Amino acid sequence: MRTKTIAMPRAVADWVPPEWVTSRGVRYGIVGVAAILLLVYPLLSDDRYYQNMIILSLVFAVGATGLNIITGYGGYVSLGQGAFIGLGGYTAAILSTKVGGNPFVWVPAAGVVAGLFAALLGMIAMRARGHTFVILTIVFLFLLQIVSINWRVLTNGTAGLTTPLPTWSVDIANWPFYYALLGLLVLSIAMSWWIRRSKFGMGLVAIREDEDKAETVGVNTPVYKILGFVASTVFVGMAGAVYGYYLSFVDPLGMFNILLSVQIILSVLLGGRGTLWGPVLGAFIVEPLNEFANNSLGGGNVRLLVFGGLMALVVLFMPRGIVPAITEFIEGRRTRGRAGLVGERLGAAIELKKRDVPLARPAISAQMLLEVKNVSKRFGGLQAVDGASFGVPQASITALIGPNGSGKTTLFNLIDGTMSLDRGEVWFDGRQIDRMKPWNRAHAGIGRTFQITRLFREMTVLENVVAPVREFKLRQLGADAVSGHEAERAEQLLDFVGMLKYRDARASALSYGQQKLVELAQVLMLDPKLILLDEPAGGINPTLIERMGEVIKELNSRGKTFLIVEHNMPFVLGLCDPVRVLGRGQLMAQGTPLEIQKDPRVLDAYLGEDFAVEEEPVKA
Amino acid sequence: MSAILSLKGVVAGYGGGDVLQGVDLELEENSVACIVGPNGAGKSTVLRSISGLLDPRLGAIALDGQRINGRAPAEILAMGISQVPQSNGLFPNLTVKDNVLMGAYIRRRDKAFLHRRYDELAEFFEVLAERGQEKAGNLSGGQRRMVEFARSLMMEPKVVLLDEPSLGLDPKALRMVHESVKRMVERGRSIVLVEQNVRFGLKLADHGIVMESGRVLLDGKAQDVLKNPEMAALYFGGTVKEQLPQVPAVPA
Amino acid sequence: MTEFVQTLILGLLVGGVYALLASGLTLIFGVMNVINIAHGAFLILAAFITYSIWSATGLDPLAAILITTPAMFVFGWIVYNVTLRRIRTGPAAATVLLTFGLALVVEGLMGITWGNTAHAVTAPYFNESFHLGSLFLPKAQVYGGIIAIAVLAVLWIVLTQTWLGRAIRAAAVNPQGAALVGVNVSGVAAATFAVGVASAGAGGSIVSVLYPFLPGSHYVWISRLLGIIVLGGMGSLPGALIGSLMLGIAETMTVTYISPAWATAVPYALVFVVLLIRPNGILGTRLREDVVT
Repeated sequence: MRTKTIAMPRAVADWVPPEWVTSRGVRYGIVGVAAILLLVYPLLSDDRYYQNMIILSLVFAVGATGLNIITGYGGYVSLGQGAFIGLGGYTAAILSTKVGGNPFVWVPAAGVVAGLFAALLGMIAMRARGHTFVILTIVFLFLLQIVSINWRVLTNGTAGLTTPLPTWSVDIANWPFYYALLGLLVLSIAMSWWIRRSKFGMGLVAIREDEDKAETVGVNTPVYKILGFVASTVFVGMAGAVYGYYLSFVDPLGMFNILLSVQIILSVLLGGRGTLWGPVLGAFIVEPLNEFANNSLGGGNVRLLVFGGLMALVVLFMPRGIVPAITEFIEGRRTRGRAGLVGERLGAAIELKKRDVPLARPAISAQMLLEVKNVSKRFGGLQAVDGASFGVPQASITALIGPNGSGKTTLFNLIDGTMSLDRGEVWFDGRQIDRMKPWNRAHAGIGRTFQITRLFREMTVLENVVAPVREFKLRQLGADAVSGHEAERAEQLLDFVGMLKYRDARASALSYGQQKLVELAQVLMLDPKLILLDEPAGGINPTLIERMGEVIKELNSRGKTFLIVEHNMPFVLGLCDPVRVLGRGQLMAQGTPLEIQKDPRVLDAYLGEDFAVEEEPVKA
Repeated sequence: MSAILSLKGVVAGYGGGDVLQGVDLELEENSVACIVGPNGAGKSTVLRSISGLLDPRLGAIALDGQRINGRAPAEILAMGISQVPQSNGLFPNLTVKDNVLMGAYIRRRDKAFLHRRYDELAEFFEVLAERGQEKAGNLSGGQRRMVEFARSLMMEPKVVLLDEPSLGLDPKALRMVHESVKRMVERGRSIVLVEQNVRFGLKLADHGIVMESGRVLLDGKAQDVLKNPEMAALYFGGTVKEQLPQVPAVPA
Repeated sequence: MTEFVQTLILGLLVGGVYALLASGLTLIFGVMNVINIAHGAFLILAAFITYSIWSATGLDPLAAILITTPAMFVFGWIVYNVTLRRIRTGPAAATVLLTFGLALVVEGLMGITWGNTAHAVTAPYFNESFHLGSLFLPKAQVYGGIIAIAVLAVLWIVLTQTWLGRAIRAAAVNPQGAALVGVNVSGVAAATFAVGVASAGAGGSIVSVLYPFLPGSHYVWISRLLGIIVLGGMGSLPGALIGSLMLGIAETMTVTYISPAWATAVPYALVFVVLLIRPNGILGTRLREDVVT
């Protein structure tokens, strides 16, 4: 589709926003002013209409900020967020009418109930991804609605429940609701901010960017997803309790209405998913729009047109939302015409560290760190691996070579857990690992790079290296990932591979060779015993190949074992010992580089299988 | 004999950089040319440039003297070049017959032509006669390859491009492929094939081409190329460095 | 016993109508990997159009299929080219959100045009039944079921005997292979969506006779249809048929033997249970582990 560029006046086209626009002071200033305004508004004005609008906006802001955690950070789109408002509303209403007490007392209980349901939904939805997951969340919402309609004993069915009347004086009428919700919003934002900076948050974003890769760097994805889900609903449930009390009436159609979910996700999308303030901004745009459509434009149907149309337009034309669009626009203007840091040629930027003492190669032990025993795997109609057996000695740099289709990458996938084997066993460090999940294998000490690099594109280089999880400790989830101990370690590793200068660059902006180095740093963050490298020298320039070899030797001298798949023969033969040759899915030959070069069977494997031409020609 | 297909100075890539660094190649009429070389040499890229799936940045490709680079795949197919891709060529949910007929999709209105061609092909490719109404997904690897070959012949092409026809096949199936290719040439077609299985490919071909890092390194009679000692060196221990012309870099 | 047989037959007839609607939805998913949440809204739209035609001219709603089907085909073609085409390459969830938005827009438009009260089309045979021995089969259900199956047969013929159908099925499974033989893959996608929406159109006309409907009814319908294609296997046409019949029978049985109120829960519960146990459905294709060796 061809788009016409609209000619703009020079002055406008060339305008560059001044530095201070995105400075910290300005951002804090805007937020501060807004916060103060919100804080004092009820004290200044008695206008019930606008108080109501703000109260409802606050409810949606809490809902959106919560949803942002599983949808914005985690990448799992949920259309069931409204269900948690409903759950919160019903919990407080049921408990206050049946057990007694002011609904405010039951607000924490509402949060707990919401969290429990979220954990349940998370466990159920663990195997679902993409659009299956969205459907499940919709179904969840509708099921709750039907249950609340039919379980009359508990919920009073469609007649609904009336909450106790407010016990405070009319003078301050809405204030308790207003400030309770404001308080909840502050807590939600604080939690969102804290999560984003923590190792847990890195894990969530890693799941969003590339869930399978996240698993291979030690992220226990099911647990992370459930935790993310719970985090996204606890405050929302509490807000639902306050909301129900505010309406003084809860009923199935109002509390479990799909349009609540639509409004919440619209707020997240419009404001900017994955950002801290975007969802709040979105909520404060969408709710007033909602009121306007309802009251001034003619009610329910127009509201549907507005919501539906807005959602379609946002998905089509501004999928990232307002806040990112603005920041990208400003950044784009600022850096126009100037080469960014990542544009520099790699060879110049990396200084090869000179060693004073030549590296000592450790003696190759007889002990095998990794053993592959009679492993087979079939997929896509092909027997990719067919009874392969070999071992990788401790502290060695072992090469795995063979022609295309011999099963090398499949073997890597079977070792790191990306694929499950059909037959055979894999032993690592004395333990059988072929039934272990990928993240547990990472924790056990296996790290792996990919033939085509897989970095978490939207994260910075530093965040990419902080994301891997060495071992799963709940306490460590809260650890600060942006500064602090983990970040320091990541910086050291980046320095080691020569990429420290790029720590704040977005991973998607790096060149191929730069990505390879960062991926290696990621793997090193796991402090692995065995490192699987899939074509480390592929597609990069000779200076970098040399650097790669040096890094490998350095790490090996510190005791790390390597298994390298490569096609670049001089690289392999100069670096590795022993060499394993794969052909047609099984081990064909093994030995030292010299032995391999002279082995006729190896050349055979590369040049291809023959058949007897002298036999009778056969009709196809 | 004249060259039916010629490539001159072809430079092509996928956006990350040029894979082909200036390829010159000629295919003589009624012959088989086989391109071999290590991983990343650009063999499949050459085929994709010919069939139109990839548009070369520089250089010219001509069929029978007519330019074909820059045209859409459907156009090139109509002009007389068909391709059997490396994998995923078939539609496993369609019957064998439907798969083959799809080869003439661009001429689907001409029912008489389609039926005639299909019957002709069924004479040589037994699998069409025997299992024509079965879903293609149920066939063995060798049989599928035969169906793909038959499909590529529906439009009576002048040139057939085969991308690793031996991949995943057992020796019996390899023999079938060998026979089919010979038969195609007998019927007047010219074949370009890309092969990982060097022995199989060069034994089948008249003309052998060795590529590495996007350039043609060796070019000659297939038998001579196969016996060339540099082949072992190529796969196994070093690149053959030659003085090759520099390709103009992509303007920044 | 009679009650059981009657419930069973009704379930099959109802299932037939579901099958027509579900086929369009699963076809769109199978070819384009798009879950068209607006499918329910489209069928209700067709029902409203049928209603308008009937109240203006008295035309038998089942005959109106000849009008609604082509009309919805064109409508689907336009919708695809204006909206869906742009986000084909985006993340999967984006299409869900987009089609949800479209559903809301259509719901709003229907409400504005026809109002939010329940409508129904009363055909002349509305209250009559066929008597087969001791079985009472309402004529509307029988005609509806038969016509649905007839339209499904036409759809089947289109998919297996025409070039468009072959191109659609080829592109569904192997877009690159299809491009190599000269198929216009993006044109095929538009045609597929249009065909899917057209079948929703036919189904909508039938639904207008069988059930009362209002703009908000699309939620119930899309949940049912999603339940069916998930049960039968997303992307599988035979699966859609099996799933439809199963759901039809399950629903009529629930109405007869448990209670009508809980019948609405059946599709949701079904989706949940099936997605948990067998995420790919009964006939669904297993996700291939595609890796470069």
